[in-house]
Amino acid sequence: MDLQNPPMMDRQELRDLKKSIDLGFRDFSRAYGEDIEAVFDPLLYFLVWLEKLLLAMPWPVVLVVLAALAWFGARNWFVVFGSVLAFLLIGYFGMWKDMIATLAIVSVCTLLCLLVGIPLGFLMARSDRVQSLITPILDVMQTIPSFVYLIPVVMLLGIGKVPGLLAVVIYAIPPIVRLTNLGIRLVDKEVLEAAEAFGASYRQKLFGVQVPLALPNIFAGVNQTIMMSLAMVVIAAMIGMQGLGQKVLQAVNNQYLSLGFMNGLAIVALAIIFDRISQAYGTRLQKHLEGDRNA
Amino acid sequence: MRKLILGAAAIGFASLISQGAVAACGSITIADMNWASATFMAHVDKVILEKGYGCDVSIVPGDTMPTFTSMNEKGEPDVAPEVWTNAMRGPLQIAFDEGRLHAANPSPITGLGEGWWIPPKTAEEHPELKTVLDIIEHPELFPYKEDPSKGAFVTCPAGWGCQLTNANLFRAFNMEEKGWVLVDPGSSAGLNGSIAKAADSGENWFGYYWSPTAIIGKYKMVPVPFGVDFAGSENWDGCIVKPEQECADPQPSSWTKSEVQTIVTDSFMKQGGAANDYLAARVYPGPIMNGMLVYMEDNQADGADAAVEFLTAHENVWTPWVSADVAAKVKAGL
Repeated sequence: MDLQNPPMMDRQELRDLKKSIDLGFRDFSRAYGEDIEAVFDPLLYFLVWLEKLLLAMPWPVVLVVLAALAWFGARNWFVVFGSVLAFLLIGYFGMWKDMIATLAIVSVCTLLCLLVGIPLGFLMARSDRVQSLITPILDVMQTIPSFVYLIPVVMLLGIGKVPGLLAVVIYAIPPIVRLTNLGIRLVDKEVLEAAEAFGASYRQKLFGVQVPLALPNIFAGVNQTIMMSLAMVVIAAMIGMQGLGQKVLQAVNNQYLSLGFMNGLAIVALAIIFDRISQAYGTRLQKHLEGDRNA
Repeated sequence: MRKLILGAAAIGFASLISQGAVAACGSITIADMNWASATFMAHVDKVILEKGYGCDVSIVPGDTMPTFTSMNEKGEPDVAPEVWTNAMRGPLQIAFDEGRLHAANPSPITGLGEGWWIPPKTAEEHPELKTVLDIIEHPELFPYKEDPSKGAFVTCPAGWGCQLTNANLFRAFNMEEKGWVLVDPGSSAGLNGSIAKAADSGENWFGYYWSPTAIIGKYKMVPVPFGVDFAGSENWDGCIVKPEQECADPQPSSWTKSEVQTIVTDSFMKQGGAANDYLAARVYPGPIMNGMLVYMEDNQADGADAAVEFLTAHENVWTPWVSADVAAKVKAGL
């Protein structure tokens, strides 16, 4: 018995297997590519519309909206000034357009992740079987090297915004699902029993008790999802998604130190702004609840 | 034990020497560059030189600049089957002038080079699109997904030299005014994927690529003539290939001619004898080369596998390169 080499599939068979998978996928994308693309078309139109809208807005308006959002989220002058200053600097260094493109994509990605991820988290929290089914899928999504799924995504949807968006969503959705699930599962059994004792329905329990109590965890998930979509921006640029990521890629390929740092720091600035606003908003919600509970 | 190893080494060495004595052209080394077509050519050369001319051939890994430097300075390896000379014209010319290196074959592959391509289906359905000048009048045939009122021209990923070239040609042909956008595919995977997707789904596609490559062969992409002459090397080297800010007034031009040569060292030139005639005669027709690259990709075959496949499947291509006697020996050796 050969102890040096583990048993291996016959080379020819292995080759045939790989070939049949490749051909199978090609046939699949030939047959359904257009339909799948059509499903995503509304998303593309929305993205393009949002980006155009943001670009068409005079820059002072964008800043005012940003400041208002920051104030609404954080209620903190420091955060408001910091955000406005960061945007002004980004504009000053000629990255406004790219930043807007990235901003549009990341906002839509986050929205999509929340829309899909939070209900998924509810489902997982409700049933152990669903949880045991979804958890391994989330593990795969988080650990599989992104380049691996970029290939089929490009073959199905081509290059550009939508495939880039999908790649980002695949990577960024797991934390919100996991943390929603975790947050709801961590809600005290006794609190739930009390709610049940008052005759609360499933829906009432979920939205009246579990979600409010799980908010800190859910917000941590939102936060992680935003951070991860921003981190994915550079990878998604490899399949033609425009924005700051593309400039970083260009810098890497050309060894342009300053271009790389500027755009990289712009991504960091966006991340920090998103982070501070969403975190502060999350903690505020929580404080408010605590106040209620004590009252 | 040590004696045994020494003994074995001695026998091995002796057999090497005796083989060398039998060989007509001695022992030679061939550079195996790190891209598919060059690997393939190196292995075909190896088989033919070994079986047909009795050389003792070893293959050494290489890449354009390191191999060139080593050949120039050390005379090793002896043969570089596929060298793209555009980027190193200066130093290569010096080496030629000094007689240290020689071009055994000034163009071992036909139909190669960079340029702008369309899928075969587009060419078939729109026979009126004969040149780039015709295509750029019809951006509506190549709609850009993110802004369907514009035509998409797929350029090179950021950071490739050809990105600058394409951007300047884009300006030279006034394509923006005619309703085109330059689409950056982001990476070579993105570029390949966009071609694969367009060709698979029968969509129109217009963009940059180069040959010989598996992608061109696999999807039978059609090169589009530019419809204008090459506007001189001053325009090309002094403007088109430079960053936009250094190229104020690009002129429309066809793509500069890419040159690939087979390069050999001086000692090989002198000792190789008949092997030189073989190298000079072997010219791969472009479609055959692309076909072999597709074969390699589809079967995940390495250069050696591909060489055997080529020599068995394309006898009519390679037998004219050698004498009937040599051809018979090679066939017998397979």
